[in-house]
Amino acid sequence: MSTTTETEIPLRQRVAENPQPALIWAAVGAVLIGVELGAILQVVGAVAGVVVNLIPGDPGASAVQSLQAAFDAIPTLVSRDVIPNQGYWDGTGYENTFLGLSPAVAWAIRVVFVYAYAFAVLAWAWNGYKRFRRHYRRVDWTPRDDVVNRFRGHSWGKFGLIIVITFVVMAVFAPALGPTTMEQNILQPYDYEVSYWSEDTQSVETVLVGEANLGSGSQGAGDENVAPMTYDDFGRFHPFGTATNGKDLFTQVVFGARISLTIAVVAMGIAGLIGLGLAMITAYYKGLADLATVLVSDSIQALPVIMVLILMLVIFQNTWVRELYDGAVLIILIFSIVYWPFIWRSIRGPALQVSEQDWIDAAKSFGQTPTQVMRKHMAPYVFSYMLIYASLSLGGIIISVAGLSYLGLGITAPTPEWGRLIANGQQYVASPSWHISLVPGLLITLVVTGLNAFGDGIRDAIDPQADTGDEAAATGGGA
Amino acid sequence: MSRWQYFLRRVLMSIPVVIFGTTITFALIRLGPLDPVSAILGTQYNPQAAEQIRTNLGLNQPLWSQYLDFMYELFTFQLGQSWVIAPGTTAYELIEIYAPRTIWLGFWSVVIALFVGIPLGFYAGLNPNTPSDYAASFGGIVWRAMPNFWLAIMLVTALSQLGTWTNGLFTWQTWIVRTNVVTPPALGFFQSPVEQFLADPGGWTESFIRATKQIAPAALVLGSASMGNEMRIGRTAVLETINSNYVETARAKGVSGRSLVWKHIFRNALIPLVPIITGEAFLLLGGSVFVETVFAINGLGWLFFNAAINGDLPLIGTLMFIFILILVGTNILQDFLYTIIDPRVGYDG
Repeated sequence: MSTTTETEIPLRQRVAENPQPALIWAAVGAVLIGVELGAILQVVGAVAGVVVNLIPGDPGASAVQSLQAAFDAIPTLVSRDVIPNQGYWDGTGYENTFLGLSPAVAWAIRVVFVYAYAFAVLAWAWNGYKRFRRHYRRVDWTPRDDVVNRFRGHSWGKFGLIIVITFVVMAVFAPALGPTTMEQNILQPYDYEVSYWSEDTQSVETVLVGEANLGSGSQGAGDENVAPMTYDDFGRFHPFGTATNGKDLFTQVVFGARISLTIAVVAMGIAGLIGLGLAMITAYYKGLADLATVLVSDSIQALPVIMVLILMLVIFQNTWVRELYDGAVLIILIFSIVYWPFIWRSIRGPALQVSEQDWIDAAKSFGQTPTQVMRKHMAPYVFSYMLIYASLSLGGIIISVAGLSYLGLGITAPTPEWGRLIANGQQYVASPSWHISLVPGLLITLVVTGLNAFGDGIRDAIDPQADTGDEAAATGGGA
Repeated sequence: MSRWQYFLRRVLMSIPVVIFGTTITFALIRLGPLDPVSAILGTQYNPQAAEQIRTNLGLNQPLWSQYLDFMYELFTFQLGQSWVIAPGTTAYELIEIYAPRTIWLGFWSVVIALFVGIPLGFYAGLNPNTPSDYAASFGGIVWRAMPNFWLAIMLVTALSQLGTWTNGLFTWQTWIVRTNVVTPPALGFFQSPVEQFLADPGGWTESFIRATKQIAPAALVLGSASMGNEMRIGRTAVLETINSNYVETARAKGVSGRSLVWKHIFRNALIPLVPIITGEAFLLLGGSVFVETVFAINGLGWLFFNAAINGDLPLIGTLMFIFILILVGTNILQDFLYTIIDPRVGYDG
């Protein structure tokens, strides 16, 4: 080891010595973030709005509102305003659409644009990591490099990663991806109007969105069906067709992706925190703490998960928790409570192993507090095992949430959910309106396959000798 | 510690688990925000009837005595009765009616999953990295990722439409014996099988086939997740065994291919499949709610779901207790199988 690598030069100084790669990277980043600054600020504004709402008395609500209005006014590259698709035919050409193209083409361009932007951002982030590794990192090699390299050589895992990214982008950019907005088409259809070309009168007419929806539902044969990739009678384009009530299926699907992803990730995050925390405590103190946790987790694991979910959703049906985010908050809480024992189980062994290491003794004898020892010397070694288990469990949660919503217990209207869409189209599977049930089901299959593949990739990358026995339990909620 | 002592310790450990699990159920039902009495009465709430039920269920006793009563009754198998979905019927009668259908469904879904999943997985493991391996593996993964309820809907539709699609050449309903696609299986032939069989062998066989055909699509769906798991684990297990030293040795000794596969590879590859197979109990219980709902098989899952949405909390408590017993029993069975099959497993667990 040379002396330069051993001396602690702060990162800032290392960048100052060789600024070019960092500058190029930062400049590209500034452009990428700059074109979407409005959207980022809008998210900040929305979060601020929620926070203000939670504080009693709503202090500064008006300030936040004016701030939100200001943020909304900032133009962003990937938005509905830049590439609008909700125009109409006026007899000679399309009005109010992007470059006068047909709504279908304008929508397709926007989708391509959104994905191009998202992948550009990811490529930029990846490039940043590579630049850091090449130019600024103090050491030439860390064990994590091997993990990254193993994952890069894992085509099945990369296939999963691409599907997961596609799904996440769908959830994040949901408002920009839909051919219409949630507000207009699903929440308040009677507050908005659309213009359309009427064949009867040979002129442009306007109609309330709600009434247009009534006339474009998919309920089986003939006139009562708006198939995928077609226009309805009011000149509106529906990439996935319409649901039985005439609302746009694609818009519901992308917002459904949002709620599925939120529930899966947040629930797994909370369960992971509980599991990790308990694993640290039980591995550090052992004895009674361990025995008590074994007992509690075994008991929770002995309960049939789906049945407990159903029971808890019924018991909490008329409470305020059930109302939050149309039930998502309650579902997240239930999943965290039900899933932490599985996480704890999967990392208990590695945690116990780490706690036996010499460096733990050394840290203790140096007078470090138990919390420090757990956080700095134990948790990092166990974290990767938790990551493996969590990534393999996400698919199971998505399926379970869809299943509960299918039964009418999960996410309630108006928030769209894939399982509810499947239930919505159940009677029409054999009719021309097959798309209502088929599309969300295929998407769930695809996303869960992708998540499992991604999890496999992570497992093989982090722990090439991994035992394959545990994961079966991870993937099954049984829905 | 000998392995039987270890096994005994696991069995003893399951007693507090059952008690604790039942306590959680009690807490949910009695301490949750849903009042059992108003859930039972629903819209027909009147104070007199409420008081009546409250006394009957012992709800005006102090909480600790309610808890002791609840536990005592369950653990002595006084399972109470239904209050909403079949008022006055005892839980025993309900279970006697509904459980056989679920058991029949569970039995076939385990069998189908085993007899499709394991051979496919072993085949893929014995021919690794061939196109047929990739096809089988990928198929298994996608099959496992499909939500049961959706798969069930699609299968029901496909089976109902088969006649239309094939222009009447093949219809599921008339294939071998006449059945409906969506129906509870007729299990009358199980009442006293030997006598019935002796009295009318042909008729008995036909009703057996009919009941099997009625349950087959649902069992296929319910077993889908386990089938995928078994395939995967089976494949990995075979791959690991095939590369192990004792198989090399046996091969070097000149053991024939067939005997190598059956005696040395197959048996050892079965070990990691044990938890997958016993773990099916969890998948089956949870999945039964969805599959039974779509296929209109009124079994235990269906009973639980309906008891839940109709607020029949006393019945739910009983059913939950039974499910816990089933699952804990399966875990003990798993430990037992491990103890027999693999003497190396888990002394320090």
